[in-house]
Amino acid sequence: MAPGPPPTAAEAYRPNRFVSLPAELDPNTFDSSPEKRRVEAERLAIRARLKRQYQLQLNNPNPPAIIEDPALLRWAYARTQNVYPTFRPTPKTSFLGALFAIGPILFWIAVFKTDRDRKENLIQEGKYKRPFSLF
Amino acid sequence: SEMSKDLLPGPYPRTPEERAAAAKKYNMRVEDYEPYPDDGFGYGDYPKLPDKSLHERDPWYQWDQPDMRHNWGEPMHWDFDMYIRNRVDTSPTPVPWHTMRKHFLVFLSTMLIMFGLGEIYPSYRPVGPKQYPFNDLYLEKGGDPNKEPPVVTHYEI
Repeated sequence: MAPGPPPTAAEAYRPNRFVSLPAELDPNTFDSSPEKRRVEAERLAIRARLKRQYQLQLNNPNPPAIIEDPALLRWAYARTQNVYPTFRPTPKTSFLGALFAIGPILFWIAVFKTDRDRKENLIQEGKYKRPFSLF
Repeated sequence: SEMSKDLLPGPYPRTPEERAAAAKKYNMRVEDYEPYPDDGFGYGDYPKLPDKSLHERDPWYQWDQPDMRHNWGEPMHWDFDMYIRNRVDTSPTPVPWHTMRKHFLVFLSTMLIMFGLGEIYPSYRPVGPKQYPFNDLYLEKGGDPNKEPPVVTHYEI
C-alpha cells in the first residue's frame, strides 16, 4: 500500500484528553462562513442578555444582599442532589460499583490474611524474630 | 434553594421538546446543547461541555468573575472545580503530548534499567574487612587491663 499524504500539522499534534489543539492549527477557526457567523451571533445574543441581567442587578441603587448565579446553583445541585434520582443500575455501573466498592475490601482481606498466616507459620516454627522485643 | 423545579437540573431529556427546554434552562443554543450519554451514571440532563480548562479562556476579556473566568449564568462544566486556574491545565503545549510522553518514558525506563542492572551486578573497588587499632580495641571492648591483650596482626609478610 503506497504511503498516503503526510499528516497535517493538526493531525501530527494529536490532541487528546489532556491537551487541546491550539487555535492556530484548528481549521475550524480559520475562515468564517456566514453560517458560522450566524451561530456566533446567536451565542453573543445569549451572552449579552445574561450580561445585561447581571449588570442590572449589580448596578441597582438598592442592590440585593447577594446576587445568586443560577448556573452555579444548577451546577451544585446537579453534582450533589441530582445524582441519586438519575442513577440507574446498568451492567456498566454495577460492574464499576462492585469493582470500586467491594474489590478493595476483598483485596485487603486477602492481603492481611496471607500476611498473618505467614507470620503465624513463622512463629509456630520458632523462626520469627520479634521486632520490638524488650529482651 | 428557591429556584423552581423547572430551573434545576432534571433527568435525561428524551423528546426533542425536553431537549429544547433543557437548552433554554441552561442558557445554551439548542444545537449546542448535548447532554451526557444516558448510561445511568447520574449526570441527568446536565450539558456536556468541551473539556477545556480555564487556562484557555481569554485573560483579557471582561469576565463577570475574573478569577474564575466565568460569566453570570453561563453553564459551568461538570468538572469546573478541577479546571480552575490553580489545578488542571489543558492548554496546548509547545511539544505534542505523545512526543513528551515518549521522551519521558524512554528516559525513565533507561534510568530504571540501569539502576536495576547496577543492583544485580554491583561494581566497586575491592574492599577488605575493617581493621581496628590497639589490638582490635581490646580495652575499649571491655578487656581486662591487667592481663596481656592478645596480639592481633592484620598483615602477612
